[in-house]
Amino acid sequence: MATTTTATMTTPAATVSFGSTHPHPPPAAKSAPSPPFSAGAVKSEAPPTPSSTGAGAAAAGTGAGAEDPSYIITVPSYSGNETPDTRTQPPSKLGRLLLLGKLDPITLTGIPIAAWFSYDSIHDTERRLLPDFFEGEAAAASGSRGPDAYKYYRNTLVRRFRSRPGRRLTLTEARRGLVGDVGSIRRVFDFLEEWGLINYGALPSGSKQAKEKREEAAQQLPLPSGATAPKKLCTRCRTVCGLAYFICEKADISLCARCFVGNNYRPGLTAADFKRVEMTEDAKSDWTDKETLHLLEAVLHYGEDWKKVSEHVGSRSEKDCTARFIRLPFGEQFLGLKEDKLRPVNDDDDDATDEPGRMSRNDCVSLHCQMQAIRLSLRSVSLTCSDAASAAAQVAISAQSQVDINDGEIDSSVNSTGDEGSSDTNGLSVNDLLKEAAANARSELEKERNSIEQSLSDIVDVQVPTQES
Amino acid sequence: MKTVSLGASRPSAVSFRMPTRDNLVPIRVDIEVDGQRYRDAFTWNPRDPDSEIISFAKRTAKDLKLPATFVPPMLQSIQGQLAEFRSYEGQEMQLKEKLCLSRSVANLNGAVNLQIDLRVNNTVIRDQFLWDIGNLDSDPEEFARTLCDDLNIADPEVGPAIAVSIREQLYQIASQSVSIMREKVSKKRRAPEFSSNSKAVNNAVDLFKYFGSKGSVIRKRKEWYLYEPVIDVIRNEEAGGDGKEELNSSSRPNKRLDEVKEASLQSL
Repeated sequence: MATTTTATMTTPAATVSFGSTHPHPPPAAKSAPSPPFSAGAVKSEAPPTPSSTGAGAAAAGTGAGAEDPSYIITVPSYSGNETPDTRTQPPSKLGRLLLLGKLDPITLTGIPIAAWFSYDSIHDTERRLLPDFFEGEAAAASGSRGPDAYKYYRNTLVRRFRSRPGRRLTLTEARRGLVGDVGSIRRVFDFLEEWGLINYGALPSGSKQAKEKREEAAQQLPLPSGATAPKKLCTRCRTVCGLAYFICEKADISLCARCFVGNNYRPGLTAADFKRVEMTEDAKSDWTDKETLHLLEAVLHYGEDWKKVSEHVGSRSEKDCTARFIRLPFGEQFLGLKEDKLRPVNDDDDDATDEPGRMSRNDCVSLHCQMQAIRLSLRSVSLTCSDAASAAAQVAISAQSQVDINDGEIDSSVNSTGDEGSSDTNGLSVNDLLKEAAANARSELEKERNSIEQSLSDIVDVQVPTQES
Repeated sequence: MKTVSLGASRPSAVSFRMPTRDNLVPIRVDIEVDGQRYRDAFTWNPRDPDSEIISFAKRTAKDLKLPATFVPPMLQSIQGQLAEFRSYEGQEMQLKEKLCLSRSVANLNGAVNLQIDLRVNNTVIRDQFLWDIGNLDSDPEEFARTLCDDLNIADPEVGPAIAVSIREQLYQIASQSVSIMREKVSKKRRAPEFSSNSKAVNNAVDLFKYFGSKGSVIRKRKEWYLYEPVIDVIRNEEAGGDGKEELNSSSRPNKRLDEVKEASLQSL
């Protein structure tokens, strides 16, 4: 499967698969819609030569294959404005370019790692930007500020972040684990953060943006923070946590409200180390499958007129509808399908509210509506936020490639649900809906395939003359 | 002449500074506001501008999710300790002399007996070793790092705690030596620079001379256990109360690890 076959053919060059120490295996990078966090997990020890990063990128199994590895990639959106010199700009600036459309396009597998980074050596960029460690009599005289110290700080910080990539590493926590004076540590920390080697994608934990990103990521792949687990068990008392529980990131402990209040955590942690986490928004708002059905049906009929969609759904606002629509897990679903036919891994709360008997119907609904989502998202970029657009687009691309596998299953599942009773959604039966959706999706996919082939041949045509000249 | 004629290769009096390679100050902060307590210890470079202190305090409060009311007392504490450090600068200190100041000082001239007695989170570490106070190139940070690596200490917070503890002890010795110098200078010039002259200046030849009658410089085997580090990792149930760094003054514990120390005997 060619995951990154976006029409523009850019690839994540520096997302080489990480070394042995990393918990997240390379396959995480395969699914194109993997969000910044998991992609961040696949950081590399890319030596600063183009050929090796190219080789590495291919080896990482991103499916990039023979495509030319551009040097630094694309990043998820931040905001800003600058000229695109990708090699020397720190990633925050690159992100801005992306939003402005100056950088091509939206491959979320790309992480803006500074391609020069290597554990074993110190690059000129570092020497240039942190002269305290390398020049002057201060550096020569002092160990705290010499190159060895710099390397020690840097490597420890990077390793520490990469071991928990979803989580923002604070300076205080970092310097408590580093032997040295805090001024020097702070300088290295800030430098690494700016260049995306640390805290990539992890915005200040209090901000809403970070939370949204995390939840979006959480939907796609399970993160260590465990926010995606439908039933959260308290580390201490082993009971199911209620709607809110407390996470201690430092020690990776989750406590239910009762344990937290009862101070049942080990010494060395204070109340400040814990963070209150609510269950995901979906759980809070609890979309029933009926509502989801309404939503999908509405989307099918009204397209992107979210006002009408929300009217159709009834009890949900426009924003909720779009949010829910975007969040329907696509990539995960398809991955699950590959291994486990006809029983995809479902989104948590759908399952939670279902009885076993109704499982398969829900699955089918989700499946087909995802096809719809693919159709819609491929066609438009006017979804609510660009993050969503890019996520949806990516999902679409990846899902498309898996379509053949799913085609067969769709048919069989359509048949299997024929026996079940139809729902009472405005007189349309589930079956009709499904059939229509399937048919539409298939035709759309055909069209898309054709157009991609067309553009591919165009590109090839363009390239051939270049080579000849 | 009784002063430096014993062949000292180093000057006997030195302008005040931390007797380590990096002139870094150990800072300890312990603040309580509205029932919330913040305790911390770290190393600071006195050459950093003061604006750093403010941004550091703010950032720390933000990272630890402390209310903003913590920032002013934190600031005050840090600035106060730095000011105290700076007040010593420019004065002279005498490190070579025998210092019979505290129980932490051994009778060997130039070398002091440092002690580590800490609990950091769940790890307890106790150790003692000789440290050459006259070696202005010594490096507590490197020592702490090596110690943690060698003993495979899992908790990364132990290293900094050890480094800070060493620095604090060195700082104490250095600052005390400044006051001693001041006292001496105020007395009449007639007073010799060495109070009791049976001790030699710390260089290899003289040390041998000192030890000569007793044997070798190698520590007696039966004393080894006194100088071995002891690490203990306590389980949650045993630990109680504030888990942050504490200084215990317990007696010599049982041996848990066998380790021969060499880093402290740098001068030998």
